[in-house]
Amino acid sequence: MTHLTLSNISKQFGETAAVQDFNLEVEKGEFVSFLGPSGCGKTTTLRMIAGFEIPTTGKVTIDDADITDKAPNQRDVGMVFQAYALFPNMSVAQNIGFGMRIHRESKAAIKQRVEEMLALIHLEKKGNSYPYQLSGGQQQRVALARALANRPQVLLLDEPLSALDAKIRVQLRAEIRSIQRKLGITAIYVTHDQEEALSISDRIVVMYEGKIEQVGTPFQIYNFPQTAFVASFVGTLNTATAEVVDPANRLISMDGIQLQSAEEMEGMQKGDKVSIAIRPERISFAAQEKKANILDCQIENITFLGSVVRIQVLVGKTHFYMDTFNNPFLELPKIGDKDQVTCSREAVLVLKA
Amino acid sequence: MKNGGKVWSWFWMILGIVYFFLPLVATFIFSLRAKKGVLSFLAYQQLFNDSGFIKGFSYSILWGVLTIIVGILIFVPTAYWVRLRAPQFRTAVEFITLLPFVIPAIVFVFGLVRTFSHPPFLIVDSPVLLIAGYTVLSMPYMYRSIDTGLRSIDVRTLTEAAQSLGAGWATILFQIILPNIRVAILSGAFLSFAIVMGEYILAQYLAKPAFAPFLAYLIQEKAYEPAAATIISFALTWACMGIINLFGRGQQTQIAGGH
Amino acid sequence: MTTLNSVKRDAPLARPAPHKMSWVWLGVTPFFLFAFIFLLYPSSTIAIRSFQNTTTHVFTFDNFVHLLQNPNLVNAYWISIKISLITSLGGGIFGFLLAYSAIRGGLPPFMRTSLMTFCGVASNFAGIPLAFAFIALLSPSGVLTGWLRSVGYNPYFHGFQLYTFWGLSMVYMYFQFPLMVLVISPAIDGLRREWLEAAENLGASSFQYWRYVAFPILLPSILGTMILLFGNSFGAFATAQALTGGSINLVTIMIGAQLRGDVLGDAGLGYALALGMVLVMAVAITGYTLLQRKSERWLR
Repeated sequence: MTHLTLSNISKQFGETAAVQDFNLEVEKGEFVSFLGPSGCGKTTTLRMIAGFEIPTTGKVTIDDADITDKAPNQRDVGMVFQAYALFPNMSVAQNIGFGMRIHRESKAAIKQRVEEMLALIHLEKKGNSYPYQLSGGQQQRVALARALANRPQVLLLDEPLSALDAKIRVQLRAEIRSIQRKLGITAIYVTHDQEEALSISDRIVVMYEGKIEQVGTPFQIYNFPQTAFVASFVGTLNTATAEVVDPANRLISMDGIQLQSAEEMEGMQKGDKVSIAIRPERISFAAQEKKANILDCQIENITFLGSVVRIQVLVGKTHFYMDTFNNPFLELPKIGDKDQVTCSREAVLVLKA
Repeated sequence: MKNGGKVWSWFWMILGIVYFFLPLVATFIFSLRAKKGVLSFLAYQQLFNDSGFIKGFSYSILWGVLTIIVGILIFVPTAYWVRLRAPQFRTAVEFITLLPFVIPAIVFVFGLVRTFSHPPFLIVDSPVLLIAGYTVLSMPYMYRSIDTGLRSIDVRTLTEAAQSLGAGWATILFQIILPNIRVAILSGAFLSFAIVMGEYILAQYLAKPAFAPFLAYLIQEKAYEPAAATIISFALTWACMGIINLFGRGQQTQIAGGH
Repeated sequence: MTTLNSVKRDAPLARPAPHKMSWVWLGVTPFFLFAFIFLLYPSSTIAIRSFQNTTTHVFTFDNFVHLLQNPNLVNAYWISIKISLITSLGGGIFGFLLAYSAIRGGLPPFMRTSLMTFCGVASNFAGIPLAFAFIALLSPSGVLTGWLRSVGYNPYFHGFQLYTFWGLSMVYMYFQFPLMVLVISPAIDGLRREWLEAAENLGASSFQYWRYVAFPILLPSILGTMILLFGNSFGAFATAQALTGGSINLVTIMIGAQLRGDVLGDAGLGYALALGMVLVMAVAITGYTLLQRKSERWLR
């Protein structure tokens, strides 16, 4: 059952098209992330759901009710801002209870809900503190509680963690996800951090320059990127240009070296230029196990990253990164050595340019 | 803000603009009425021919320049020193620079006159007291401007770099620090200048020639020349503020004293 | 590798070794000397002499007692406080509305810059020239008076007087409301857009946002600035002197009269008067500082 629908949404700011052709259906209780670089339109789209921007075209509906033209204070959505936006003149409890106060709920009901929320965000003792007395992470949790206290139908989060330290970020994103699951509330999460999006979303909407590039589960987005942008934005990726040799047999040629792919090449002809991509972890040393593609290479650099060892190799004229798990008993080649690497045909992704 | 709010915004703005301009327009028109029945600049001509005006105006400019020089000589080294080597004095120094806000000009001049008009400190007739008085009155603005300027340059590193190249204190102060806070000093200087030009109490009660006391005298004696002088005074204030705005944004430009 | 020899160099250090404290004092001496001679000493003279009997120089509270017993002087304080309250309230409210209109009122951006420039000039255009400008405007032979009379309305027949308390209040407003605009603008800037959006998101109407969020946040700044305005008006002298010729009974006017000669018949009273003024100002400045600090904490 679709809970939130955005149909044909677009937003024009003067000459610039900030968002174009945005279509999305979100199920109830789903956690969807909008992922993309700065300026891709993800925040603008979120703000259109919240009512702070009016779409130039298109409709926003929640539970089949059209809210496109409704004022922001008439919608049943809760928003968590990047800069927390806690009211500095009110205590934590007053901030959390503000929405209910506006909706004229009874003092008893407010008190109970506030206590529930404080327990939910593990800040039971901070009810009487003021925002300036709290750390960034604590303030953001209060902002989350404030948005949830109103029991909104949809929760919107605008890069809520980008102002926080890395360690707090990891901790807090897991908390946000667990609270969202517990309450079963539909959530839209805007971020530019692909690791964040991958780790907590049910589905990810990858955006670039105002348009949707791909919608899918984290697994799909990472392993089966459909465009060059998605492939390069999510995870590390090796990319190169190549030429189609034999579309029926899915053969392509990169720097004169032949590669076997598993991708459909319908509509392509011999000589077409394509973009190919291979994930670093899908390349391994041929000495261990031979797969469909075997490539001669030269070792250029070895970087020890802890659990992973990243090796830079030169294949033909192209530099590739390959990631292998750290194995203290496996001898690594030396820089300058000539070696052989291998990857399966499924690992060779052919992308729309 | 919805459209209803915009109407109110325009209302208050227009009210403010009217309140601001009405007295100025009236003064200007008044200043043009010296010749009966026709608008002319006669009042301005008479003013510029008035030796009292020339004297008052020129002396005020002189006092202004001297005050600025004294201010720079005393406050720049002090602010520099406090920032660099004597931070323990910072609270005391800042308290002193804020005292002129707490002691109104009239009380300050009262104190000055009463203290220094009896032996052994009989300097009430000396221009030294006048300049010192002006310097104190402009101190909050001059010192604050200089301090703000010093805050925006890394005083410690510049000093150490200069010292490693062999410079002594005088060289550091005048050839390295001063040029780098030029904008801040100019801002403070123009504020001080505006203060001195507009200041009445000090010059009046120390019986020294100056612009504001002359203006007060004009109001008693003449009808239209005061208007011309007022317009000139306003134009001068405007010029000072304009020049300050050219230099720095966010510098303190309001004066809450001397009137 | 540093050697021990390099430490022995005799260059003056920016970071002094702890035992070389003595010549740090030298750097601030000119300032403290200047401040002592020309500010602290004269000010303390006032304070000390206000507690002294004029002839015998014996320590006494008599001067203050006489001050409170003198109806003229008490009245002077009262009128000074009255005009300061009125112009700080009036100037404060008008200045705030003006500043808010220019910053958040949906007006074109150049209005804000123009307003700030005007206010910078107007708040400095006080004293004798300002008094005369209003004389030129609204005196019996003033320009505006003339225009109004030419359309059949003579303000003076309706009880208007320029050289009175209310006339002076009107003149004071000229530099009070610009000062309010200049000082309160940073606070209005500090009202973050997200607070409005968060309030709207939680269901608040425009009025509710103002009542529960914006106004409470701005209140310390507004109050603090109004107190500043109060002090500003309380200490004003030249404007009142020029407008009323010294006929209005203000504390500053009284002190001015004392400067010209001992009109009170007792020099000690003059000092007590002056000290009383400083006390009022000190309370005002302290109030302003405390409220500023509170608002800064919220608007960080």
